[in-house]
Amino acid sequence: MVNLLQAEWYKLRKTNIIPFILTGPLLVLAIAWNVELDMEGTEGFQYIYTSMMVNLVYAVMFLPLMTGVLAAIICRYEHQAGGWKQLFALPTTRGKVYVSKFVIIISITLIMQLLYALVLLAVGLMKDYGEPFPMVLIVKSVLGGWVATLPLIALQLWLSTLFKSFAAPFAVNVIFTIPTILVMNSEKFAPYYPWAQPFAMMYIAEDKRDVFFIPWEQLLTVVGGSFIVFFLVGYIYLQRKEV
Amino acid sequence: MITQLLRAEWLKIKRKGLWFLALLGPIGVVALQMVNYGVRKDYLLAQSDDDWGYYLSNVGGFTPMALILGLVILTSLMASIENESNGWKQWIALPISKMSVYASKFIIVAVLLFVSSCVLTILTLLYGRTLELGENIPWLQLLMNSFYPYLASLALVGLHLWIAIISQHQGVTITIGIMGVIICMMSYYLPDWVIWKWPTLMNDWNNPLINVALGVGAAIILLVIGMWDFNRRDVA
Repeated sequence: MVNLLQAEWYKLRKTNIIPFILTGPLLVLAIAWNVELDMEGTEGFQYIYTSMMVNLVYAVMFLPLMTGVLAAIICRYEHQAGGWKQLFALPTTRGKVYVSKFVIIISITLIMQLLYALVLLAVGLMKDYGEPFPMVLIVKSVLGGWVATLPLIALQLWLSTLFKSFAAPFAVNVIFTIPTILVMNSEKFAPYYPWAQPFAMMYIAEDKRDVFFIPWEQLLTVVGGSFIVFFLVGYIYLQRKEV
Repeated sequence: MITQLLRAEWLKIKRKGLWFLALLGPIGVVALQMVNYGVRKDYLLAQSDDDWGYYLSNVGGFTPMALILGLVILTSLMASIENESNGWKQWIALPISKMSVYASKFIIVAVLLFVSSCVLTILTLLYGRTLELGENIPWLQLLMNSFYPYLASLALVGLHLWIAIISQHQGVTITIGIMGVIICMMSYYLPDWVIWKWPTLMNDWNNPLINVALGVGAAIILLVIGMWDFNRRDVA
């Protein structure tokens, strides 16, 4: 398993993954830098307010779409030049191949999330937000967003093993991600829509009456449930994939 | 020659899902409004006296995003069709000019999106009728609502076809597409020269025709640049 992860990492390193990872923090920087804080009632909440503005784009659109691209990148070199055949010919199981690819994608996503927090802090320092830096809330938001993205990554990994082209899994991703913009405004549907979960989990709120606040139990059943379904479908598909 | 090329291209995109996506785009845009109006019709009708105008602006809210994502997917698929089966080499080996190969791909995407816009017009009208927004249908506004964003986004078709065809890694073109959609979502804060802002039809003069003119003009320029660049490149 460790060997497989090393092999995956090696393949990735040689295919210029860094620019793709940096798009996330760059986007956060561009938005956070331009957030205007001259409104009433933002004092003491500068970080939280900024992160909310960033999340409207980052968590709603960027995170679901970009993790899909990462999943396709990680399958790209297998689709080219018969990589699947070579990989499956090795003395390892297809299950392990699948899990190691999944682990690599979620690690990159975690790095992207940590960079998100770092950029937020950097912008705060440069723009002199001062105390307090809501450490616990930001970390919760970043990790929550990461957890909520896991089922989406599982689905995209399955689609990326299924389709050779980048555009096909991306099209499916888009079809499910765009409705989030409407769904997240609905109290009734938002808790049950997997693609709305990254936003829900990254939305910093302690107030239970807030529209976007969704209880943990509900999130975990939706996120956990969809994760199990998508992951198993992808896992079983790869076992049966003809190469 | 170009008609034969186009016929070959049409044949190639059969059963590849391009038509399906071209139809799904407008269906999705109107379906989002079906959900929107289905859930809170009374509230939305109370927002404005001009119910048709308000409905059209709601539909129009999602059109630029759908167009940009659609053209990113379509141009990337047009390149993938050749990349996957090593088709470029065979294509270029034929006694046809490389420039017309490139142009035919542009035409295919432009026609697909034109069909999308026609479908969008029809669906917008049909769903609007069921909402009983009034007897006076603003035909001109309806047409502008569907076709102006299309014309303004042709520049992006030119840009993305170029990127998709020259990049070995389709992840690059998709990532640029994602950034483009996000830029489009934030158009309100951006200057008018940003190409991703054009499909939203917003500009400082409040005249959508400027965006249409910019879109078509830049599309021609980008198409020529793309053709010239593709012509001098080696094909792998």
